[in-house]
Amino acid sequence: MAYNIPDKYQDLTPAAQLDKKTLNKMVWLSCFLQASFNYERMQACGWLWSMLPGLQKIHTNKEDLKASMAHNLDFLNTHPFLVTFVMGIVLSLEQSKADTATIRSVRISAAGPLGGIGDALFWLTLVPITAGLTANMAMEGQIAGAILFLLIFNGVQFAVRFGLMYWSYGLGTKAVTLLTSSAKEFTRAASILGIFVVGGLIANYGSTSLRIIVGDPAINIQGLIDGVLPKLIPLLITLGIYVLIKKGWTPVKCIMLILVVGIVGCAFGIWTGDSKAMDAEGNTIPGGYKPLVEWYQYPEPPAE
Amino acid sequence: MGDISIIQALLVFVVAFIMGIDQFSFLESLYQPIVTCPIIGAILGNFELGIVVGGAYQLIQIGSMPIGGAQPPNAILGGIMATVFAVSLGMEATADGVGAAMGLAIPFAVFGQYAVTLTFTAMSGMMAKADKYAEEANVKGIRNLNFLEMAILGTLFGLLAVAGLYGGTALGEALKDFSWQFSWVMAGLDAAGGAMKFVGFAILMKVMMSGEMWGFLLAGFAMALLCAANPATSGATLLLCAFVGVAIAIYDFTVQTKIKQNAGAGAGFVGGDEDGI
Repeated sequence: MAYNIPDKYQDLTPAAQLDKKTLNKMVWLSCFLQASFNYERMQACGWLWSMLPGLQKIHTNKEDLKASMAHNLDFLNTHPFLVTFVMGIVLSLEQSKADTATIRSVRISAAGPLGGIGDALFWLTLVPITAGLTANMAMEGQIAGAILFLLIFNGVQFAVRFGLMYWSYGLGTKAVTLLTSSAKEFTRAASILGIFVVGGLIANYGSTSLRIIVGDPAINIQGLIDGVLPKLIPLLITLGIYVLIKKGWTPVKCIMLILVVGIVGCAFGIWTGDSKAMDAEGNTIPGGYKPLVEWYQYPEPPAE
Repeated sequence: MGDISIIQALLVFVVAFIMGIDQFSFLESLYQPIVTCPIIGAILGNFELGIVVGGAYQLIQIGSMPIGGAQPPNAILGGIMATVFAVSLGMEATADGVGAAMGLAIPFAVFGQYAVTLTFTAMSGMMAKADKYAEEANVKGIRNLNFLEMAILGTLFGLLAVAGLYGGTALGEALKDFSWQFSWVMAGLDAAGGAMKFVGFAILMKVMMSGEMWGFLLAGFAMALLCAANPATSGATLLLCAFVGVAIAIYDFTVQTKIKQNAGAGAGFVGGDEDGI
């Protein structure tokens, strides 16, 4: 983290409105939001890639482009089909040269909730309905099922992508001009919202837990911890890493540490983890995996 | 299956390559078994059987969509291999006839998932590179990182599919034994992968955190816990967090701008205090 992202852009004159061609290009690129998905920043690098056509037009000052690119690599996880909504808002903020902290807070606050909405809309509603209907056609040997599935699914997908981009860009541009008169207060309020959402993200996405079950009758250690505070482990790990990063640790170093602790921990059966291993009947391993060193007996699942 | 031509193997590789990418990027619908299986069926010379396997596999798949970062054993390799087995074992083109092909394909679906987990882990390490490219305003570098992961995923899926094409059920058995024996390594990667996002959170906190913000972090944490604990609201956890967060932010914004206005108006201005007393 040698590079410190400045609080303010150097060139504070609002940039011109983006043309349709650039916006359309960004919508197409948004299809590759998850092209470089990873466990640390999730969609960050794909997000930056799809934002670049707009950012390059907005930030003609090279130093500002650097700053903007650097902070657009923050952790991001949103729904891939609804992402253009976030893009439109962030673009309008970038265009009016808002403080970088404001943009970062607004981005994570807008992106987080959309993930859950999108899952409910697409993976739990659209796909089951269209795929359910068309799968029956396919099982009767009709290829029309597959074609119909692709047409409906992608029709909805692109209508949503284009619609949200133009709607939120227009909305954001209007809202932002009202707020520039109180920029400092706006940054503070956005940070409050951002940090509130990050707290929510820790509880929502934090899945790290203990697998250990000891004694007879069996005592589930995770159950005891949940009695004190659910998601205590994700909270502690996040705070621990925050301290390490403040001390100057690089993210890569933190990731290596997590990797080692994760694998060594699972060798001793400490962490909950799913090996996804299945036999031909679809049976899985009780407890998700078989530790290398088994110092406690994981209870067999109750027989049916 | 001893009678697979090089062309067929090459086509299977290409299809698996594209689907490996499509499961996360591009149309995010081509990879569904209902589409993939007929294509593989056509390559192997039994289009109709492919359609039926696709329909049957799709119905299994509906129950397990990738939600919130969790991944079911992989649909692409599962679908491709189910089609390969259905064709090579000469199964009947009915929903019942192709049932056994699904089970035989499971070890490959598990390994498809491993390919994804390994790629996501390796690319976490590449984010430092991304930071560097951003600091140099290197647009091409960012683009190439995206190409890199797509190439890795596509190649892994292509290789696994071709290996399955030639290795068949024997390879499936070997893969199953391997995944049972080293389940702790993959579980370790799964656990570590689940914890890596905390690094991303910590970076965000570094930007926004200041002394008075700690309360808001814990408040958001508490809000999410409460929403998640109630089955009726758990699906909307983050949305509800945002609602409450927005209310607090707007209130703070209003108060702060008022304070600024009042300070600007001078000490003689005391409006708004009367109703509080």
